Amino acid sequence: MTLEPIAIAAPPSAPLRVVGSTPGEPDFEVQLGVFSGPLAVLLHLIESRQLDVLSVPLAELADAYVAHLATNPVDPGQLAEFVAVAAQLILLKSRSLLPGEVGPGLPAADAEPDEEELRRRLLEYRAVRDVARALGERDLLAPMQRREPRESDLPAAAVAALPPSLLAEAMRALAAIPEPEPPPPEIVARDITIAMQIVVLRAALAGGGRVVLQQLLATCRSRTEATVTLLATLELVRRRQVRVRQRELFGPIVLESMA
Amino acid sequence: MSTADDLGAFYEALLFISERPMTSAELAELADMPLARAEAALANLAGELAEDGRGLRLQRLGDAWQLATAPEVGERLAAYAAREEARLTSAALEALAVVAYRQPCTRGEVDRLRGVDSDYVLRSLLHRRLIAEVGRRDTPGRPILFGTTFTFLERFGLTSLDDLPPIDEVELPTLPAAAEPEPVDAG
Repeated sequence: MTLEPIAIAAPPSAPLRVVGSTPGEPDFEVQLGVFSGPLAVLLHLIESRQLDVLSVPLAELADAYVAHLATNPVDPGQLAEFVAVAAQLILLKSRSLLPGEVGPGLPAADAEPDEEELRRRLLEYRAVRDVARALGERDLLAPMQRREPRESDLPAAAVAALPPSLLAEAMRALAAIPEPEPPPPEIVARDITIAMQIVVLRAALAGGGRVVLQQLLATCRSRTEATVTLLATLELVRRRQVRVRQRELFGPIVLESMA
Repeated sequence: MSTADDLGAFYEALLFISERPMTSAELAELADMPLARAEAALANLAGELAEDGRGLRLQRLGDAWQLATAPEVGERLAAYAAREEARLTSAALEALAVVAYRQPCTRGEVDRLRGVDSDYVLRSLLHRRLIAEVGRRDTPGRPILFGTTFTFLERFGLTSLDDLPPIDEVELPTLPAAAEPEPVDAG
């Protein structure tokens, strides 16, 4: 008794499904219309024929499995596993065709460890697949949300009760700090003209008095003022309104009004 | 108000402001209660929230607890907390099912049960935080042990792993007892 290879109905998933979330994430996944593994294929072959996994001779599924493998795309990365199961099935079939003839070095065919091992794996896989389907029906069906951490969820600072007197002390400490001086309203270059200093010199010499130039210069607040005062003196000398005398080198320079 | 109710209210408030799951030990210490008292109060609170049909549920994973919204309101909450999530593929669901029911389990166990290499699928589940490394098995190579997370419970609307849909036990009455290649801890 052999089973005709039958056309496999469309696999449980859509022919081409692109599953992915945001770009750049590694869980991007392209699922072709393939079963998730060789056991899934084998189980489908059995169930589509309404056979009992516990009793069906797996050797008889070899043709259908190989036919399926030949006509359906298999993820190249998993091809080895699909082929391994195919090899197991073909081995089982060859043993069933040649009962009693065991090659040298091969285990006795009636031991049949492979078939029962494969059947056990099929049963285990069926339990996993069924429970995966049950889980899949719940997937995102009624999700629960947890509270996500917020911006305000910073580690709480140690908060001990502060004595109110600290505030008063802080105020006193503030009062002890001198008020900063008010900044100058504006910085303006001080214009000192020769005419201004002539007025100053005439005022100093008014009434026929005498003025020592060095003393006058000592009252100047800047080098510019001193320079301009000297120039004003020279101007008055040029106009012959003032006479300048110095009795010795580096001695006092005395101004006298000539008016 | 009895002390037990008071403790339940304290834990409800505490877990409301906590932005991460808290362990039974932490909760017991914060209430200055013996561990058994704390756990009893937490279990009581979980039962009350579920029985009264409240908007929140107390989820438990291992010895950790967290408050989460009730699965009944999940769909209506989606308008506010929209999650642009793709449904899991059948391969991902299979791997997740193995981890969920057999945890803690290794990649080798997932591979063996599914009959295919599951490295990629498991990494995808790790990335989605549906599973996490929970330790290493003390066997040669010290393989990584995987378990499911709170994110897993939330996604499937489960209050705890006890709420997982019951699995049909694999009955092998007619088969010779097959030797387990590696021991598997019952979930």
